[in-house]
Amino acid sequence: MLIDSLQQLATSLADAGIGLLELRGPGVLLRLGRDAADVAAGVEPSVSTPGPSRPTPSSGTTVTAPAAGVFLHTHPMQSNPLAPVGAPVRAGAPIGLLQIGALLLPVTAPRAAVVAGLLVAHGATVGYGTALVELAPD
Amino acid sequence: MSSAGEPSISVLGTSALLFEAPGHTMTLPDQQRIWALAREAGRWPDVREAVPGMNNLMLSFVRAPRALAELRARLLAAWAVAQPLPLEGRVIELPVVYGGDGGPHMADVVAHTGLSIDQIVEIHSAPAYPVYALGSHPGYCYLGGMDARIATPRRKVPVVSIPGGAVSIGGAQTGVSASTGPSGWNTIGRTAMRFFDSTQDPPALLQPGDTLRFRVQKVIR
Amino acid sequence: MIELLSASALATVQDLGRLGALRWGVGTSGAMDPLALAAGNLLLGNEAGAAAIEVPVFPFQVRFTDGGAFALTGADCAARLDDVPLLPWWVGEARAGQVLTLALPRAGAWRASRAYLCLPGGVDVPAVLGSRSTQLRGDFGGHEGRTLRQGDVLRAGAAESSSMPVGGFGLVPPALALPLQVDGVPAMRVLPAAEYMHYTETSRAAFWAGEWKITSQSDRYGYRLAGTKLEASTSVEMRSHGIVPGVIQVPPGGQPIVQMRDAQPSGGYPKLGTVIEADLWRLGQAPIGSRVRFIETTWDEAVAALDQMQAWLANVQRLVGLYRRQQARS
Repeated sequence: MLIDSLQQLATSLADAGIGLLELRGPGVLLRLGRDAADVAAGVEPSVSTPGPSRPTPSSGTTVTAPAAGVFLHTHPMQSNPLAPVGAPVRAGAPIGLLQIGALLLPVTAPRAAVVAGLLVAHGATVGYGTALVELAPD
Repeated sequence: MSSAGEPSISVLGTSALLFEAPGHTMTLPDQQRIWALAREAGRWPDVREAVPGMNNLMLSFVRAPRALAELRARLLAAWAVAQPLPLEGRVIELPVVYGGDGGPHMADVVAHTGLSIDQIVEIHSAPAYPVYALGSHPGYCYLGGMDARIATPRRKVPVVSIPGGAVSIGGAQTGVSASTGPSGWNTIGRTAMRFFDSTQDPPALLQPGDTLRFRVQKVIR
Repeated sequence: MIELLSASALATVQDLGRLGALRWGVGTSGAMDPLALAAGNLLLGNEAGAAAIEVPVFPFQVRFTDGGAFALTGADCAARLDDVPLLPWWVGEARAGQVLTLALPRAGAWRASRAYLCLPGGVDVPAVLGSRSTQLRGDFGGHEGRTLRQGDVLRAGAAESSSMPVGGFGLVPPALALPLQVDGVPAMRVLPAAEYMHYTETSRAAFWAGEWKITSQSDRYGYRLAGTKLEASTSVEMRSHGIVPGVIQVPPGGQPIVQMRDAQPSGGYPKLGTVIEADLWRLGQAPIGSRVRFIETTWDEAVAALDQMQAWLANVQRLVGLYRRQQARS
């Protein structure tokens, strides 16, 4: 059943024009790509923070990509940035979007904070775990 | 629009196809052949409904046919051999109050035809009208057989709201509104009959092949 | 379950239309932007054709008397759930008591005029003659055969089966994914109709070359357009015949009227052309006062456009399914 799911997933990714997908869970990394060199599966050694954000040395938070895709600062229908530098954001608010084909996934603030910096340009392709937004404490 | 002798086939976007019998008149024999064509074409794949109009037929599609030319050819061939379906439906009689508030455009029909109200009422209520088709709004019947003497062109500016039961003349046709709505026809009277009930099967009171008679209940001059 | 708080909403319950009832004089009704309605349903995991609420007038406000998921597509209405802004073309979750407010549609990258609010399992109203669309003339279908009013309560057709991914998710709207414009103006493809050649060459050329303004006398029944006066070289009293949404009629005044979803299923005016089914959503979303262009197309191109629209929906359904299943497992 897992192999069927993987094949279905691979087909769907190809349809959506995605070249590489990384899925990460506690102790597990699955990487699925169209190039044979990208295919890998196995146990991730010391996984320290499997979640979508990690603390930065300055006690702020770096929000990382929850999946591979295209990082957007604004919704495609809008021109106002979701997370302008200096703006306060609520917990759970979208501070960016990840476009995967027709889908838009939210990149959400893990807690109430202030946007300290955007680390990736609007429209850049990112992988799972790429650092996207720096948040400073509220 | 078809020239004399040749049916016309045209498309309505990718949603439907329109077949028109030759000529500009609306004869009963041609309509009976349209019914026959509808019965045949309604069975074809890709066709959801074969909906008769006044000497014409609209085929609505389940999906847009890839080979339109084949469908056209098939339709022309079916028309060539279509035999008129006999008029075998029920006869329904409608009591009508002509003129007055229920007939706000009677004066326009008088002005256009040069006939008196009584003459118009007599001519309008004389025939047995075959139900040619349903359309326009739920339960509405297009009728054939109206006397050309009372033909009055559709109004240049349609009326925003005419009640259900309105008896009207549009060009060379007559009909009865089945519900409140806008109308570009000339309303000459009113009836109380109910033509449509969405909870019934079939929901429409009448169908092509039935016959309608107007009985003069009252004339308000 | 939701309760309508707004007055004069003109909102109606629609699905993808009532098919198969033309034989009784019943037109299709259905969503003016069927793509937005279908996409909202797919975001929720509904059948694409489940009933939803079409919102043409703003502001529009509902209260979630029960909590649940919902999807909002169509125009970007600066939607808020209580005081929290929502993204357009998005599916999310409301708690019991929360109020959803849609404001006037924003200009943005796509000017649209109607929003669609979808609920899990679709809006629960009875199907009449095979559809949950509202048949306004005749007063049946949808919610009691009428536009919604303040105090109306609408139920979702199903309780949710799987949980909503935290933060929700959304779609790139088809206006951006499948753009169609001429000289910066939204455009719709048109197939010439039976009386096309009845119009003078000048008029035909003007129809394709001109910008057509959607006048304020435009609604679900028809869009009255303003532009060059179109003149026929022949004039005949037409026989009543079946028509479909998209048919462009030209009454004696020379200003075209495009028949829309609530149009009569038959008519007697000459027809210049028909907006193709695949582009009706574009016109259905064009706001009053905006301008549109028409593009002459062929049968094959029009059929290909339908295929493209179906492919977009199929792709959305696949990706949404994939994402929801992946999120449910993690």
